Amino acid sequence: MNLALSDPFVLAQDYPEQTTGSLRSGHATSVRFNRKGDCLAVGRVDGTVVIFDVETQGIARKLKGHTRQVQSLCWSRFHAPVYIAELHPWDHFKFVLSLFEDQPLLVDCTNPEPIKMKLPTVPKRTQIDDEPIDKKQAAQDAKQSTTVSIFTASGDHILAGTSKGWLNIIEVATRKTIYSTKICTGVVIYLRLTNSGRDLVVNAQDRIIRTIQLPNLSAKDLDPDTIDIEVEHRFQDVVNRLSWNHVAFSSTGEYVTASTYNNHDIYIWERNHGSLVKILEGPKEEHGIVEWHPHRPMIAACGLESGRIHIWSITSPQRWSALAPDFAEVEENVEFLEHEDEYDNHPEEELLKQRLDLEDEDVDVLTIEPVKGEIIDSENTFKMPFQLDLDDSDSEEEFISIRRGEMRRKSFTGTDHLLDGDTGTSGDDRTLKKMKGRSKKR
Amino acid sequence: MSDFDSAESTPIPERPRKRQRIYDDSEASTPRYSSPDEVEGDHKPARPSTLRRTHRSRSASSDERSPRPKYRSRSASSSGSAGASPSQTPDAGPSPPAYKPPQLNYKQKFILRGHQKAVSQVRISPDGCWIASASADATIKIWSATTGKHMRTLEGHLAGISAIAWSPDSNTLASGSDDKIIRLWDRASGIPYPVPLIGHHNYVFSLAFSPKGNMLASGSFDEALFLWDLRARKLMRSLPAHSDPIGGVEFVRDGTLIGSCSTDGLIRVWDTATGQCLKTIVHEDNPSVTTIRFSPNGRFILAFTLDSSIRLWDYVSGTCKKTYQGHTNLKYSLGGTFVTGATSAYIASGSEDGDIFFWDAKTKEVVQRVSGHDGVVFWVDSCPMTGLVVSGGMDGTVRIWIDTYEDDTMAREEAAPPEDDYKPKEDPEDENMAVKQENIEDNEEKYHNDTPTGRSPSHERSLARSQEQVTSPERMEH
Repeated sequence: MNLALSDPFVLAQDYPEQTTGSLRSGHATSVRFNRKGDCLAVGRVDGTVVIFDVETQGIARKLKGHTRQVQSLCWSRFHAPVYIAELHPWDHFKFVLSLFEDQPLLVDCTNPEPIKMKLPTVPKRTQIDDEPIDKKQAAQDAKQSTTVSIFTASGDHILAGTSKGWLNIIEVATRKTIYSTKICTGVVIYLRLTNSGRDLVVNAQDRIIRTIQLPNLSAKDLDPDTIDIEVEHRFQDVVNRLSWNHVAFSSTGEYVTASTYNNHDIYIWERNHGSLVKILEGPKEEHGIVEWHPHRPMIAACGLESGRIHIWSITSPQRWSALAPDFAEVEENVEFLEHEDEYDNHPEEELLKQRLDLEDEDVDVLTIEPVKGEIIDSENTFKMPFQLDLDDSDSEEEFISIRRGEMRRKSFTGTDHLLDGDTGTSGDDRTLKKMKGRSKKR
Repeated sequence: MSDFDSAESTPIPERPRKRQRIYDDSEASTPRYSSPDEVEGDHKPARPSTLRRTHRSRSASSDERSPRPKYRSRSASSSGSAGASPSQTPDAGPSPPAYKPPQLNYKQKFILRGHQKAVSQVRISPDGCWIASASADATIKIWSATTGKHMRTLEGHLAGISAIAWSPDSNTLASGSDDKIIRLWDRASGIPYPVPLIGHHNYVFSLAFSPKGNMLASGSFDEALFLWDLRARKLMRSLPAHSDPIGGVEFVRDGTLIGSCSTDGLIRVWDTATGQCLKTIVHEDNPSVTTIRFSPNGRFILAFTLDSSIRLWDYVSGTCKKTYQGHTNLKYSLGGTFVTGATSAYIASGSEDGDIFFWDAKTKEVVQRVSGHDGVVFWVDSCPMTGLVVSGGMDGTVRIWIDTYEDDTMAREEAAPPEDDYKPKEDPEDENMAVKQENIEDNEEKYHNDTPTGRSPSHERSLARSQEQVTSPERMEH
């Protein structure tokens, strides 16, 4: 409801400008906003998932027990380190995951005993010339593994990227690959769809980020053979040959952002012309997962070393004319022209009567007008129950109040290790090391 | 009418600029402790004394004050020059509901007695099940909205309570008191949460929960609007909102805006996320605004002003859409609400003559005027689901009103047996009540004893110290 009053120039700004803060709870490794954008789920090294309230920047909830799913952030219980676990968009009991050196799995935990279904990795070769696939190629195909798999927006298909740069489209119902294409030469590191599900961004080992416009896969008369996937844009740093840790779309899909490997910056490209619009500089730290707020120009990224979540946003200046209703902001000098009756004196009663007579407009105080872009409540009726008593909310330990209303940031020397080690198990640590190792390898 | 004219008619220059200086004048204020009764007996003090008392209000114990403290209002501060504004009232006097077919027929269902002193605010919980009433006797009482049964008395504040607010899940109640502290209560157990919200430098006068329940906005006599993070129980943001005591604060439906109003005559609209002022609304005559409410759809602001008017503002354009008049509101901070009928919306407010007024939101006409309270009706609240209206007033009673107009109750499930009407129901827990009342007196005595030190600067310091204590456990963790 604040849109009508907000500064249009601020609203027009649709990508973040500067760092506006950071969140901390243990050592964060992954972040994800919920669809509404009021919660930020943070996965920690120790297996705890912490949900931050974006408004208050405080901890709303902690999910412990190592395996909990939060909106769309997923923490896995599988022994092999999981590359990417992704929830079904509509059915939260289904998720797909890609295992390290194993076949990807589609897991259905509707029943108490989860059903695991293996998904194919082998790309489907188009056999135009009726030539049988030669053995060498088949052997090669068998060697590659799926590194990332995600659901499409409708949940009917799974997009999977392989270690040889293939993109497979797998139908969920039949668990068959209906289409495959080679989009790059290296390993596909990460796939991400926009909210609409029609655009895909691919992060690959060859240091190029590709955006792809997908056909409508849920169309009734879809013929797998007619699918044609073409790369729309390639984003890369030609000079520095940077490789990218993580990529994300902006809320509208208009922008693509990426965190850089061995570098502190976060890059933002726009997709109309495919040009770089902004390099966000921030804390001197390499960032892992980067996420874009679902409707605000806000980016959250977690620092690899400190485990903090850094937030970039825009700061709108106070419009001083809002404080004084008699004042208006003008672009240039306006010559004063006296109206005919500007300084006329009218009797008080007359004025009052006039004023009251003018109030003949029809007002509607009840009808709620839908705001564009707002998620209708019926769509997600789940409201997170509010918890006033958090058992241990360690978001505050960062601050000590020195005087009433004043806070001082606490230095973290020494406490860091204690915090992370309190519930961490060796298994989790191993996961982290592997993940770190993976990013180093690139 | 230019602003110069309005400035002429409103005695801005008379406004004492340095309130602080007056506050610091502790010598002058201490003797006031000795004579609380003298003011207590006098329910409607003359305006000049009101004026002075509010200035010195820091020293005055709340017992001697009425719960919705009289404002050091502009119209009040200039009893001479304000002569023009009361003359407005007869002009648009209460339009007799006779010529218009009445669409509302609110009748009194229950009288809830138990408070020792005036009731400053009554609020119906969002789920429509409970009624909470705050009183100058430093207690909050929770009543069942359906049966009128007294459920619980919440005791813990050291001074009169001016503000209460329900959390969106109806499980938590926040209360703001003249002891400068905001407490959070568990509705089911009646136990306050261990860490109160301390930070205001003066009486807490208005509270509002954010729709998600994660934030609390509080307006205080210290002229600041505080935004609290309820999970961490810490001050999130302090908005230097006004240049006079804040009368009311409220969140808009989706929580993105906060509205605040003040005796300085301004209504400000704030952005919750950034803490910036997005809009300021001021009426030409600049009357003190004591309460604001957002309309159910969040498009308008209803402002209660001390010129016996309630105005409906379109806060986007900054224009006054409607003015509702007929009631008397010149001295006290009254509060009202939107009443959602089956087809149309009404506006309900108390009046200083003891009546409750219902206006048609569109036609500005008084649809119904009911009497019952003895003395000022401070607060009227309604439940959008059942159409129930509850009121609290100077006489210390809480009254539940139900609409018995049949055509308009189609959308409401409520079927009130007419024989219930005008049958004041005694509180079922009379014995309990007696006990409670004793407790109240005990408390009062304690409070009286505490008072001289309680309001002294040393108390201030002890407040600060206790805040440090509050935060010290966190430090201990490391």
